[in-house]
Amino acid sequence: MTAGQDPILEVDLVSVQFGGLRALSDVSFDVRHGEILALIGPNGAGKTTLLNVASGALPPTSGAIRMEGKTVSGLKADQVNRQGIVRTFQAAEIFGSLSLRQNVMVGGVAGSGVTFGDGLLGWGRASRVERQLHEKAEKYLALVGLLEAADRPAASLPAGQQRLLGIARALATDPKVMLLDEPGAGLNNTEKKHLVEVVRRLREDGKTIVLVEHDMQVIKQLADRIVVLEHGAVIGIGTPREIQRNEAVVNAYLGSAGTIERNPVKAGETSYGQLLNLSGISIHYNGVQAVNEVSLNVDKGEIVTIVGANGAGKSSLLKAIAGVVTPATGEIILDGKSLATKTADERVALGMSLTPEGRELFPSLSVHDNLILGRYARLKAHKGLWGMVHMGADEKAAMADRLQFCFDLFPILAERRNQLAATLSGGQAQMLAIARSLMNDPTLLMLDEPSLGLAPQINEVIFKTMRDLQSEGLTILLIEQNARAALQVANRGYVLVNGSVVASGNAADLLADDQIASSYLGFGDQQDPEDSLMVNVQ
Amino acid sequence: MVRYGSLIAILVVSQLVGSNYVTNLLNIIGLFALPALGLALLMGYAGQISLGHAGFYGMGAFGSALLAMHTGISPWITIPVVAMLVGIFAWGIGWLVFRLRGHHLAMATLAFGIIVHVCLVEFRSLTGGPNGLPGIPVLSFFGTDLYSDARIFPLIWIACILALVAAENLVRSPVGLFMRALGENERAAASLGIAPDSMKRSVMMLSGAFAGFAGGLYAHYIGYLSPGPFDVGMSIKLLVMVAIGGFTSIWGVLLGVAFVTLISEVLKPLGAYDILVFGAMLVFIIIYCPRGILHPIVNLVGHFGRKQPAQAEKPL
Repeated sequence: MTAGQDPILEVDLVSVQFGGLRALSDVSFDVRHGEILALIGPNGAGKTTLLNVASGALPPTSGAIRMEGKTVSGLKADQVNRQGIVRTFQAAEIFGSLSLRQNVMVGGVAGSGVTFGDGLLGWGRASRVERQLHEKAEKYLALVGLLEAADRPAASLPAGQQRLLGIARALATDPKVMLLDEPGAGLNNTEKKHLVEVVRRLREDGKTIVLVEHDMQVIKQLADRIVVLEHGAVIGIGTPREIQRNEAVVNAYLGSAGTIERNPVKAGETSYGQLLNLSGISIHYNGVQAVNEVSLNVDKGEIVTIVGANGAGKSSLLKAIAGVVTPATGEIILDGKSLATKTADERVALGMSLTPEGRELFPSLSVHDNLILGRYARLKAHKGLWGMVHMGADEKAAMADRLQFCFDLFPILAERRNQLAATLSGGQAQMLAIARSLMNDPTLLMLDEPSLGLAPQINEVIFKTMRDLQSEGLTILLIEQNARAALQVANRGYVLVNGSVVASGNAADLLADDQIASSYLGFGDQQDPEDSLMVNVQ
Repeated sequence: MVRYGSLIAILVVSQLVGSNYVTNLLNIIGLFALPALGLALLMGYAGQISLGHAGFYGMGAFGSALLAMHTGISPWITIPVVAMLVGIFAWGIGWLVFRLRGHHLAMATLAFGIIVHVCLVEFRSLTGGPNGLPGIPVLSFFGTDLYSDARIFPLIWIACILALVAAENLVRSPVGLFMRALGENERAAASLGIAPDSMKRSVMMLSGAFAGFAGGLYAHYIGYLSPGPFDVGMSIKLLVMVAIGGFTSIWGVLLGVAFVTLISEVLKPLGAYDILVFGAMLVFIIIYCPRGILHPIVNLVGHFGRKQPAQAEKPL
């Protein structure tokens, strides 16, 4: 590798505390001159927080980040940029109303020394600088392969190319270090090839690159070294080959089942007929394919889990089932009836409850009121608006019944029933979110990443509760990054990679299959990525 | 260039017609165009709302009038000097309020406008309070007093055209790109080395100076000031002008000002209730013509002007 050994960027014992939550604890590593360093870790590991500290959006609670020996952490974003560090954004965040060329030109303004007064005069320095920026924009647009579209409005670009534009714009600030935030997310294979090529050109240009990325194929082709974060701490630093063999890293990605016991019920044994069936579901966002022709089914009384790395399309699939996003193709059938014409709240009234990722509680309402709200969609569908305002005795009794059920399930919620939801801990909030979904008397409960950001002990409680709910006859569709725990608790599982199902079957079989684990991680050796992603470097 | 030519041609023709009423209307348009331009730069391009621009206008008017009356300094000097002071004051206001965003920023600037208006009403010893301030010296040009509509007309419009040129230069320059980037996405702009707060303050300063200058011209042109016109209603009117112009169009603002001024003439019988119509208009424009009232018209003209078979096939 061409990278030198001397550090250009030093991350020195950086910690960040958000209230009671420690997002980063004593993170230390060096970024060397001219290398490509990949920063990876499961969702919620602290990658974005670290990027925000390094780019000046967030001051660290303690520790420092030094650029060529000079402390940059704690500076404002624009000051950090002037020290030679630039970042790109996951959502590209290009300036949609400006042309591509103007987007890149903006990147060069701060370094050109042009003043507000120059702008008012119009001639002299302003027009000289404009000509320079014009040339600079051409150069960098050519580098990322967007020169032909230079005068189109940036908003007309598809999402993948918007990220390339983001890179060109960042280059115009003449950075030494570039922090790229998930440049590969949602790109198709051709676009990824192009991205890899562009990033290699950046290195040849002498840039040092820190790459936050989930796509292991991209990382494998680019990274000289990898830093792995989990729960805000560094759990591994090394070359891709070293990281691939690092036990702690593999565990971090696949999660841990703790003391959760295997679900004793084998797939098929519970079957009282099919409850949910998806056939050929594809979902696009803005031209980016999130889910590709996925078919799956869930039988009554089953726990089915969909596992996969961040960005695999799990949440999109769940949102399509819940009616929050409309799939481009395919059909969703619940209990023999197509859901195509049903809106999200009608689906809730049909007995589907979704506990969303990040819980989405009403922070300014009490625990009790959050729970009550969980039953209103059903109440409205069955009794109309008046029925909500003026509840009958039977409805009141049913509501009280259901509340008691939730309080029995999570006794801590009964203790805190009058507390505001905002004051709950993460684990309690997750319990409340699940309980709120249960208020609806669902036949199908969908859980989106219930373990995200929670301590292992809390997760065990939550996973075990799912088992209890199953024995009450509830059908559960579980989306999880913690594959080991999810497959332990489930009867059947589907493995999703880049929007497609790559494996499915008995949870126990999937859990035992090493092949599955490695393809899920993306570190698999069964197919050499260099073959599938051949790249020509000039 | 064509646009400046047409504008100057219209102005010259209006003077040849010699109607006092037309000249008076054009003067009013010019005096509103200056603060509206400043507001368009601030709102349309830099993306920062201000509901207190009447405050800067009032400060420019009373500031220049009082300075000229108490010191005897020529209005030729007091107008630009006070405009600059108002600009610096606006910079300071920017320093205070730009730590806020969205609704909070709107509330803070609204409060600023109200505070200025209350001060103008209550500082009776200085401003004359509701009775107003009579006897403001007129501008004189080599011995000719510029008190009539026709005589002050060239001065107002020279100032307007200079402001138009400066605003257009700014928007087109690299600094203007910077400003537009900031208006669109502050986080991304900051990541490119743009100091957002300092940029916002600079635009606010320019915007305040434009308003202050127009206020000064107004004071010495009318010769009498009362706090009445410099209330929140005027700030809203400026907002409507900028909205009709489509926020991000320098020339659109000028047309927006003309449009609102002409509508105001029609609405005169309504008296103070005209603000109701402006409020309704603002809501309508924001919902149905977010890119300005001219945008759909220009599109429509373009649509019929071009004879493209592919477009003609499409049902309207």
